[in-house]
Amino acid sequence: MTDRTMTRRQLLGSAAAAGALAGAPRHAAAQEGLVAATFPGTWSEAHRNILAPAFKRATGVNVTQTILLATDQVSKLQAAKGAKPPFDVAILDEGPLLDAVKLDLFDKYPVARSRHFKDLLPPFQDEWGPRVTMQIVGISYNPKRVKTPPRSWGDLWNPAYKGRVGLTALNSSLGIAFLVELARVNGGSETDVEPAFKALRSLLPNVGAIGANLGAYATLWQQEQIDIAPYNFNFTQTLRGKGVDIEFVVPESGAAAWRTSMHVVKGAVKPDLAFQYIDLHISPEVQAEMHKPPLDVIPTNRKVTLAGAITKIAPTHDRLSKLVFHDWAKINPRRSEWIDRFNREIRL
Amino acid sequence: MPERARLDFDAWSFRLVMGGLTAVTVFFLLFPTVIVILTSFTASESLKFPPDGYSLRWYAALLGADQMRRAAWNSLEVAVMATAASVALGTAGALAIGRSRAWWAHALDSLFMSPLLLPGLAFGFAALMYVSLLGVELSLATLTVGHIVVCVPFVLRTTIASLAQLDPALLDSSASLGASPLFTFRRVTLPMIGRGIGAGAFIAFMASFDNIPVSLFLSDARTEVLPIHLWQIIDTHLDVRAASVSAVLIVLTLLLMLVAERLAGLSRHLR
Amino acid sequence: MTERAGAGARGEWWLALPLAAVFAGFFLAPLGVLAVVSLFAEPEMVTFGLRQYRVVLGDTFNLRTLSDTLLLGAKATVLCLVLGYPLAWVTARVRPRLRALLLFVVILPILTSVVVRTFAWIVILGRQGVLNKAALALGLAEEPLRLLFSEVGVVVVLAQVQMPLMVLPLVTTLQKIDPNLADASLALGAGRWRTFRRVVVPLSLPGIVAGCILVYAAAATAFITQTLIGGARLLYMPLFIYQQATGAQNWPLAAAAAVVFMASVLLVVSLFNLLGRTRRARTYA
Repeated sequence: MTDRTMTRRQLLGSAAAAGALAGAPRHAAAQEGLVAATFPGTWSEAHRNILAPAFKRATGVNVTQTILLATDQVSKLQAAKGAKPPFDVAILDEGPLLDAVKLDLFDKYPVARSRHFKDLLPPFQDEWGPRVTMQIVGISYNPKRVKTPPRSWGDLWNPAYKGRVGLTALNSSLGIAFLVELARVNGGSETDVEPAFKALRSLLPNVGAIGANLGAYATLWQQEQIDIAPYNFNFTQTLRGKGVDIEFVVPESGAAAWRTSMHVVKGAVKPDLAFQYIDLHISPEVQAEMHKPPLDVIPTNRKVTLAGAITKIAPTHDRLSKLVFHDWAKINPRRSEWIDRFNREIRL
Repeated sequence: MPERARLDFDAWSFRLVMGGLTAVTVFFLLFPTVIVILTSFTASESLKFPPDGYSLRWYAALLGADQMRRAAWNSLEVAVMATAASVALGTAGALAIGRSRAWWAHALDSLFMSPLLLPGLAFGFAALMYVSLLGVELSLATLTVGHIVVCVPFVLRTTIASLAQLDPALLDSSASLGASPLFTFRRVTLPMIGRGIGAGAFIAFMASFDNIPVSLFLSDARTEVLPIHLWQIIDTHLDVRAASVSAVLIVLTLLLMLVAERLAGLSRHLR
Repeated sequence: MTERAGAGARGEWWLALPLAAVFAGFFLAPLGVLAVVSLFAEPEMVTFGLRQYRVVLGDTFNLRTLSDTLLLGAKATVLCLVLGYPLAWVTARVRPRLRALLLFVVILPILTSVVVRTFAWIVILGRQGVLNKAALALGLAEEPLRLLFSEVGVVVVLAQVQMPLMVLPLVTTLQKIDPNLADASLALGAGRWRTFRRVVVPLSLPGIVAGCILVYAAAATAFITQTLIGGARLLYMPLFIYQQATGAQNWPLAAAAAVVFMASVLLVVSLFNLLGRTRRARTYA
């Protein structure tokens, strides 16, 4: 019996040792990895399928992606300030970027060390981090079920689309940009969205679903829950690539656009890897790869020429810079109030 | 005669309703699992049922899913550690309170069982604030501790149930024959309640491996676990890999369940 | 017997110490922190006050979220009971082999991740999903029904996801009922339905109460199912707490909401427990 106890104890001991051995290298590797935030939809796919493998080839390091909207990234970084940040690379739209800089969440981008920063077109150079792409908001529709392509935002109110119009909540830049555009075409502005809310309330009979977030919104299209809605150029292209019936048009009043940037988080666990990751994103090779359909990510490096679906909206970068850009400095302070109001007033 | 007809109708309608509802419920329980498995073989880029064509491409896609695999390993590690700790703590706790009728045993029993009734999300959030108050960084260790709290009730419940079936006379005779308490435990108690502990351990493992409410707060991108990763890829872009990994998980858990059924007679202890 | 059990317990009480220590350190202490944080008046956590509770309880929008959540749990529980009871009744009555098979069907969902189970329902409930296609083909509906992102959808999915919690305790109690009682009732000419209503259901009340409590607590707090099937437009307490805690970083408000939510769920559960007890007392009286 003593023998048996002995063997069992030895067995347990060696199992524990084996466990420790097996666990050790993986932990070391996990700690070396880079954690990068990404957006839902097109960007998470572009980063997972193109950027992360390229980064792995260049550095041998694994990237863990965490899919978060810009505002959520800012609040998570703010909460972790002074301690280990939850991710090393942030990706933000113009509005949240202003907040993040004000909160001192980022290190300045090491422009001098960057191989590609100087090749960015001037509007895309920023001391806090390169603008890696831009996003465009217009109207998307299902051509199988909406026979005449929409021409203006007003077409959403067409009674023929009862129960088929989609909306997305205001937690994303897409939602906010749409709200501001709606205000603008109805006589309001970045500081006066009253006309937009009035218009939205009258739209409710037509609204079939409100996407809680961008992911749910994509689901609505995929499951053909909605047929016409304000949407993003890239998301439309990506869904098309998946065989979803969807087309994108720019309304007569113009397409709202904003720039998207990436940043090295202050106190990042791997600041140097974070920099390399971002710099790879603005390299002509990666941007050219991401610019191919179905992702159609708009390049910001002058060495990559525009091609494909985007040229129908703007044939050159110069024309892209003439789209409708909002004043996010005016929008930011009002944002949370609008979100709250939207959640209360715009209910199905 | 009309009385007879009434009775016939009574028996007939009763059977029809009970049998019909049972069939509906069985279908209702199995349907989603079948759908997931069929959808996972889709050839198209998006989720549709029935699929436009069939292929193994989404299983092939799992091979390159590094991040998902890392999340799965994290889940496994946490589940194994949380289960081991829950079994040790839960069995000891069950021995102490399972056979006692004292007021404190009742109070402790309610306390230890309360994670089953309290919203897990509220506890997860509370644990996050507690951890950050203590200045401890989130890690797999903090996550494991959180999981132990929600896993212990399962071990406790099944162990107390099997202790109730244990005849105290056995323990007394062991003691009166001069056996030490430890010897009695190992040679008499443990073999009798082993299967109860095993069933509890199995459910605790599943509960940890599948936990969302606590992990939502106690894990971040650096310690990502599988259910959270799956939730993210479904919530953000209805990733079809979610279907194939689901099918793999279903098959793995079925195997685990069959093993557990053989070893511990699982289904008898789950109630 | 009681005495002997007591004697055993006296010797073993210290075995509960490690678990009690873990619960004190990692369960009660965090809940204490939750309660304290909920008493801060502002998100920056500087001064104390009951402001957050006024926000949670004094605002019609937030109150509606709370009542929606509590009602959601109740609806899912009722559906679970209606569908689960017959299955449990049949399971308790059939031959052992078939019983094992039925129990396996009931347990199967526990073994599939909640995320996965919920995910399947997205495919089933969509506008072009299996259910809508079937309904259109059979002429049951003129146009696709809105099931996904609707409360009906959430209730149905919650009922499926939580069904095992209802059926397992029911099977246990139904198996314990002496079949002679039902036979006697039938022999006295009571009829199946009457026997079921007057004998079987009252005797299985403990199982009903146990099942309902477990399902209710799980359904009201099922964050994943609620958000994936309901979308964020159907706001329930778990999502509200999550949004306030992580998105808005308003910890005191999230904490107050969590305290109120926990208290309400516990209140409903104990009311139900009480109801079950008085009903049982009356049945036996």
